[in-house]
Amino acid sequence: MTHSIIRRLLLPVVVLSTVTLSMLVFFAGGSSGAADPATVVASTVTDAQATTKASLPPAAYQTGRENSGAANSTDQVFNDKGQLVAYGNSDMVYTEAPSQLIPMGQALYAQNCASCHGNNADGVPAKDTPGSFPNLRGLGSGTIDFWIESGRMPAADTTAVQANRKQSRLTHEQALAVTAYVASLSPATPFIPTVRNLDTADTSDGFSLFALNCAACHTVTGGGDALAAGTYAPSLRKIPATQVAEAIRTGPGNMPRFTGNLSDAQVRNIVAYVTGNIQHPVNPGGLGLGGLGPVAEGFLGLALGIGLLTLIAFWIGDRT
Amino acid sequence: MSADDRTPVSLSTAGPDDPHMQPLARNPQRMEMAIGLAMVAGIAAIIGFGVAYWYNADPWVLGATLGGGLSLLGFGITAWGKYLMPQGPFVEERHDLRGTDEERDVFAAAVVQRGGGILGRRKLLAGLAGLGLAAFGVVFAFPLIRSLGPLPGKTLDKTNWRKGTYLVDQTGREIHVDDLAVGGIVTVFPKGKEDTPEGQAVDQTVIIRIATRDFTTRPGRETWGPQGYVAYSKLCTHLGCPVGLYEQQLELLVCPCHQSMFDVTNGAWPNFGPAPRPLPQLPIYIDGRGYIRAQSDYTEPVGPGFWERS
Amino acid sequence: MTDTAKKPDASAFGPVGKALNELDDRLGIAKGGRSLLDKIFPDHWSFMLGEIALYSFVILLLSGIFLTLYFVPSQDVVTYMGSYAPLHGQHVSAAFASTVDLTFNVRCGLLMRQIHHWACVIFLGAIVVHMARVFFTGAFRKPRELNWSIGTILLILGIANGFLGYSLPDDLVSGTGLRIAFSITESIPVVGTYLSFFLFGGNFPGTAVIPRFFTIHVLLVPLIMLGLVTAHLFLLVRQKHTQFPGKGRTEKNVVGAPMVPVFAAKATGFFFMVFGVTALLGGLAQINPIWQFGPYDAAKISYAVQPDWYMGWLDGALRIWPAWEWTGFGHTIPLEVTLPAVILPGIVFTLALLWPGLERKLTKDEAMHNLLDRPRDRPKRTAFGSAYFAFLAMLFIASSTDVVANFFHISLNAVLWAMRVLVILVPLITYPVAYALCKELQAAEGGKRKRANVVTRTAEGEYVAVPAEQRPGDGHHELDPEPVPDFIDFDGADPSAPGVRQVGR
Repeated sequence: MTHSIIRRLLLPVVVLSTVTLSMLVFFAGGSSGAADPATVVASTVTDAQATTKASLPPAAYQTGRENSGAANSTDQVFNDKGQLVAYGNSDMVYTEAPSQLIPMGQALYAQNCASCHGNNADGVPAKDTPGSFPNLRGLGSGTIDFWIESGRMPAADTTAVQANRKQSRLTHEQALAVTAYVASLSPATPFIPTVRNLDTADTSDGFSLFALNCAACHTVTGGGDALAAGTYAPSLRKIPATQVAEAIRTGPGNMPRFTGNLSDAQVRNIVAYVTGNIQHPVNPGGLGLGGLGPVAEGFLGLALGIGLLTLIAFWIGDRT
Repeated sequence: MSADDRTPVSLSTAGPDDPHMQPLARNPQRMEMAIGLAMVAGIAAIIGFGVAYWYNADPWVLGATLGGGLSLLGFGITAWGKYLMPQGPFVEERHDLRGTDEERDVFAAAVVQRGGGILGRRKLLAGLAGLGLAAFGVVFAFPLIRSLGPLPGKTLDKTNWRKGTYLVDQTGREIHVDDLAVGGIVTVFPKGKEDTPEGQAVDQTVIIRIATRDFTTRPGRETWGPQGYVAYSKLCTHLGCPVGLYEQQLELLVCPCHQSMFDVTNGAWPNFGPAPRPLPQLPIYIDGRGYIRAQSDYTEPVGPGFWERS
Repeated sequence: MTDTAKKPDASAFGPVGKALNELDDRLGIAKGGRSLLDKIFPDHWSFMLGEIALYSFVILLLSGIFLTLYFVPSQDVVTYMGSYAPLHGQHVSAAFASTVDLTFNVRCGLLMRQIHHWACVIFLGAIVVHMARVFFTGAFRKPRELNWSIGTILLILGIANGFLGYSLPDDLVSGTGLRIAFSITESIPVVGTYLSFFLFGGNFPGTAVIPRFFTIHVLLVPLIMLGLVTAHLFLLVRQKHTQFPGKGRTEKNVVGAPMVPVFAAKATGFFFMVFGVTALLGGLAQINPIWQFGPYDAAKISYAVQPDWYMGWLDGALRIWPAWEWTGFGHTIPLEVTLPAVILPGIVFTLALLWPGLERKLTKDEAMHNLLDRPRDRPKRTAFGSAYFAFLAMLFIASSTDVVANFFHISLNAVLWAMRVLVILVPLITYPVAYALCKELQAAEGGKRKRANVVTRTAEGEYVAVPAEQRPGDGHHELDPEPVPDFIDFDGADPSAPGVRQVGR
């Protein structure tokens, strides 16, 4: 609601976008402004007149719906070369990986990624395993950042059905550098998302959307579970907000892509629910037993309940 | 010493000095102290429960005080019975349940004579009484059962999808051809039914984009997958759970309840699990403004099998 | 006649005696009263398993009454505005909203809900364990067949009522269970659609199912169960307990502790301990957190949804059953549902209900039995029971194929196929293994009473071990009963004489 009003107000006032964006950041961003990438980006904008749609990069996962992760969002920020570096709205901001890290990223790419994905990052067709070493061009920095930051890439076992989440081999800066390099080969959206004002998001809407769109695989309490043919839905209990948003927008692996069917406002609400109530569940009733748990509950009830009471009976009664 | 090693005696013959009447505990005074302490602790915990309730404590405090208190009190009472009461064992004679032959004959004779003899003499009346009871039973069952719900009729054969119905998501937003990327899925309802129990339970459909060009999932369905959009009933053909689990690389819809797997590129044919039939596919088209709409209703009943389904 | 005119306060036992006399004047309690106080209860620990079930039932009634005071059995849609923020503004049923309010806003409400649910888990678990004890020791034999059947019906009703109660909060997980229940009812040939429409008041989800299930759950089934529990206990008192063989124990007596005071103290204490353990679980281990599941919405679903454990075996059967739908003559029979969810439980429970009669038929054992078998002495029954339990246990494991696959990081498809095989294979292996085990145990009879080997040295220096003389209770003995012959076979009787028939033993 609010962002559509803002959009209507903002779009005609292209000339004033810099000023308005700064004000928006100031008011909506609140005290966290210093850490907000949009603030950083906004301060680097020098030429507001560069905002022409003709120069927007293609969206890797096409969606025509505005404010749904592609460049056609309410606000766009360009650098002095006229390249789009950030876009978004009051709910989410998508930022390109910083271009000054590209040389560092190129070196890291050659060391860590090129053996599988090829020197030009256009993939290597692997025998009998289509898509094993996919083309990385034109995927958008959000995709690249997710796979590296979640530790799935560089992969530990390239023959595995599904890459496992693990401690990343690269530091945060190195990951960002590789992302910057790969993304620079063929710029595309979505960029790396940052969810704004998580603490004021509508977790109720997020819960409802989570139950409709996410719970079928990740379970309604976010524990994850085994899916078809050796694949699995990972647990959501320790995923940072950015990676939740990245996964929703880019659909890593077997996960569906949520592009035009979820607005940035809806994604923000889902991320708020996941990082809030999924990762910090309200358990007033004692031990959580891993969330969803007739299996755990039954085990506890039979082993502890019946077991303990049987032992008591064993104490009370005769044994012959 | 186990009670098993001792010869059981009858309770009525055992005098107060009989070893069977002595407690099991070697040192009854000390045992009484121990049991008393357990019971005092139990009573304290139960009072603690009252205090915790008064101050509206967390459930775990309530449970711990109540459960701990009752357990300790129960332990004390049980231990009293086990260690400080007559240890026995005592014996009681078991009397035959059956009567004597004479008693049995007298009883059987009465049943047969009064049943067969007296009732049998008035066969008409006995028959009428039986008929009356049967008629009452059958007729009375009608309001008990028939009032419960409507007859199924053709309810299960059709849904609310019609020619030209817009596909909308749960917020009522129409689905546009530009919305979904390949690998995207959204749950849709007939426009106007998205917030009704019926729309959610029966009409629910998933629309998946599996390509960017027109996609034919089965021969004869050439127009059903415009621009790579395919729509399937979200009701599993096994037990009607919502098939909301989509794996985009495997191109499988999986039922979260019993793990039936449906191949979305092949008309949602089941290729694993207990589901016997493919998910019905909804024929759709893209209108001039780019919105996705239904060509017609489903061509077969959605959801699990039932007797009247042909 | 002048005796009855005697003043009742003439009792030598003070005011209590006077009160008892007053009661006896009106109810005649003195005649049977003393023998009731003296009634002997066997002491064996395994006889207390049924008590766990009885006490859990009492706890269920007590906590259930509390819950009915706050629960609103209605499917009317309301907007949740209670104290749990992530549900704010969601459209939920009044049933769901009232359950969440009961959880967060009623003092002790969450504790009572959880005690109720844990008591149910323990109740049904205790019934199963108790039944296993009765089965493997042969306590169901004549004259107690009827009580076995009553107990089996109690188990069926308990499972049904557990499912009904589980469905009432109308949360995402239980609503999925209701959807499955509708489809299972629908799958019954000829009458299925009618039955399901009548039960739910129309096509799923209907508007009537929560209020109806509420009435059935809190009124109808508990009333029937209360009656059956009373009958179960009445028969138990009437027929007296069974007992294990032992010193001074015969078919004609009962050895143990008197009802008052010893058994009464132990039973009262045990009741408190059962209540205590249930309350500890209710306070410390969260069960069925419906606020984390959210309200039911037919289009929403969570993965990894299993029913409570006592329904698990049915869910497992549904998972592994092959897709065998039958169509023909313009009709459909969804056998992949009807067979595992209607026919299979029908067979399982019918077999349990009829087992005493079946065993009597097979063994031709018509005698009264008050002494129990040791399971090893009835290898066939023990092996059959073990195989039966193994079958149900495999079905139960099959209901968590996804959990197994996730835990061991193996393919879900592989786990499902493995379960399809194991459900058949494990019972088939269990039977001979259990049978052989019983025979082994018979051979190694007695535990404490091992037979000594007398070792002697012969003149040639060879050591020879000879088992000592048998003592009563030692050695190998089958308790398979001898069939009673139709006619007495007199030695030397002329078999051709009229009225005399030779009978083979």
